[in-house]
Amino acid sequence: MSVPAPSSQRRSANAPRAVPVLPAAALVAAAAAAGAAVAVAPDGARTWSLAAMLGAWLCLAVAVVTGTLAVRRARRAGARLGDDVAQARSQAAQLAAECAHLVSVTLPAVAKRLRDGTSAEDALAHITHPSDPQLRRLAHTFATEIEESVRLAVAYDTERRQAADELERTSAELKRLGDELLPAAVSRLREGQSADTVLGELDWPRTPALGAPAESFVRELARSERRAAAAQAASAKALSRVQAKAVSMLADLREMQDRHGEEVFGDLLKLDHSTSQLGLLTDRLALLMGGRSSRAWNKPIVMESILRGAVGRIAAYQRVRLHCSTGAAVTGFAAEGVMHLLAELMDNAANFSPPIDEVNVYVEERSAGIVVTIEDSGLKMPAAAMRRAEESVAGRMTDLASLQGTRLGLAVVGRLAVKYGISVNYRPSSRGGTGVVVLLPRQLLAQQREPAPAGTARRPAAVPAPAPAAAPAPPAPAPPAPAEPVAPRALPARAETPAAHPPADSTPGGLPVRNPGRTMAQAEREREQRRGQDGTGDGTARPERPAVRDAGSRFGAFHRARRSGTTAPDGGPEPGPAAP
Amino acid sequence: MTPRRPVDTGDPDRLYTVTGGRSRADDAFDLVTLVVRESEPSAGMQSEHVRILEMCRHPTAVVEIAAELRLPITVVRILLGDLLAMGRITARHPRAAESVASLPDSALLKEVLHGLRNL
Repeated sequence: MSVPAPSSQRRSANAPRAVPVLPAAALVAAAAAAGAAVAVAPDGARTWSLAAMLGAWLCLAVAVVTGTLAVRRARRAGARLGDDVAQARSQAAQLAAECAHLVSVTLPAVAKRLRDGTSAEDALAHITHPSDPQLRRLAHTFATEIEESVRLAVAYDTERRQAADELERTSAELKRLGDELLPAAVSRLREGQSADTVLGELDWPRTPALGAPAESFVRELARSERRAAAAQAASAKALSRVQAKAVSMLADLREMQDRHGEEVFGDLLKLDHSTSQLGLLTDRLALLMGGRSSRAWNKPIVMESILRGAVGRIAAYQRVRLHCSTGAAVTGFAAEGVMHLLAELMDNAANFSPPIDEVNVYVEERSAGIVVTIEDSGLKMPAAAMRRAEESVAGRMTDLASLQGTRLGLAVVGRLAVKYGISVNYRPSSRGGTGVVVLLPRQLLAQQREPAPAGTARRPAAVPAPAPAAAPAPPAPAPPAPAEPVAPRALPARAETPAAHPPADSTPGGLPVRNPGRTMAQAEREREQRRGQDGTGDGTARPERPAVRDAGSRFGAFHRARRSGTTAPDGGPEPGPAAP
Repeated sequence: MTPRRPVDTGDPDRLYTVTGGRSRADDAFDLVTLVVRESEPSAGMQSEHVRILEMCRHPTAVVEIAAELRLPITVVRILLGDLLAMGRITARHPRAAESVASLPDSALLKEVLHGLRNL
């Protein structure tokens, strides 16, 4: 079959003519040759040669005819085969074309339709189906597979989108939880709201994965807040009992000191000192626990008493030297706080200096208020300790969590300083050691100006508010004017300014002077009062004196009268009550 | 809550801070010793010293000073001891003390009393 088609066709076109001619000519030539042979044959042999010749020719003729027929049959078969081949080729070509069409046009189109959401049947309905069944099946399979995968892809995409949305929502909630909700919840819990209130009022995340931990966090925090608050309240309450006990013990001791003689006096003082220290310890704890000081004063307390009250509460009070020549007084509401603050600082100074060295406390009056300087001669504080102390006394570490060990005093100082607006500063002391500068602002000072130590015979006992009663217009020496700057070290030199204070309520020209914190009306009233007093002697001042004092002066008068005959003929009202 | 006691109307000074921790007075003073100051108070002095000097412009008895200062006698005696050591006061026993010595003794007086009753 490898014969090229054109040659086969050419031969098949020539063959029908050649086939009958050649065998016929051969038969004719053979017949002629046989006739000639018969003709030339001797006569004797002529008959059988003729027979032989005839027989031979017949055989030849038969052979030629059959041969020709066989050839003709073979040609026909060949032509038929050639047709088959051509047909097969054209079929192959068509198949290839369909394949190409299918691959490059149909299948992409189907895929596109399927991706656009058409079902497989619809997509297949719109295409020209290939004639080949295999290809049709292929297209069908392809379509269903693609449809399936498109469906899956859509499903996965939806899921992915949902997951992404959820993730986004959750992370937003998480951020809100961390940025807003938890801080708000913590501050509300700190304010004392219950966990249920906080959980109910705030908009908590609905995601259980966030909501549940947040809720348990809030509940746990509320519990610990409650625990801390309960512990604080319980200890404050218990401490207040101890405080009350200590205060009443102090009162009892004071009464016993009056009642008993010298034989037990020293022991009573010792007990008094121990009780005072106990008072400092309990007050310290009480203040840290949010409680109150054990005492509250209802009258201004002069600085000297403040310092003594402070120094009496520490163990090493005998090492503390007080240098106080101001007559200023601290208002009652702040007196206890100031005393406690100074006591803590003195205690600190005494504890951190050698037991043989003194701690010096200087008081000076400035325009900004009263400056108390506590200087020890111990080792210089290391920078870190100094910084920590500074932070504590500045009240920046108010959290109980920042307390360290037994060093509570400075934390209390910080609280008191913040409460009363007192500034406390550490600095290296010029004597070596450390100095603490405490500035009591003016608003903590009692407004009336105590006239003078010289005339203050009664000051701690009776201080009626603006009472100019205690002294007659005292002699020349004036206390430092509030604005006079006096360095702490210059204090000893202040001996030359004894603190008698001319009532500074009028200028030399007679105009009223208003002290800071006093209304002009009040200043004017005082001026009037003083004027009247100067004119009429004791007239105005007397009524303001407490009755106790009258008792004392009466006793004094009695005593003087008793011995007037022997001693003083000029028995005026001299010794005592600062006759104005 | 915390009981606020009226005791807080007192003074914050504890007595050992007034005496500097001393609890024994010297024996130069008894209750009726008369004290008189020798100089004016000066600045920087303890306020009790100042007040004593103020009071003792004229002779004053120790017990009177104590009553005036509202301090126990022992404390006043310690303070007076300080002032005496500084030379700011002088102390003397009242003339009465001497006159007591010159008075007839109690036995004699009792006898007189008996005699009077028997009249």
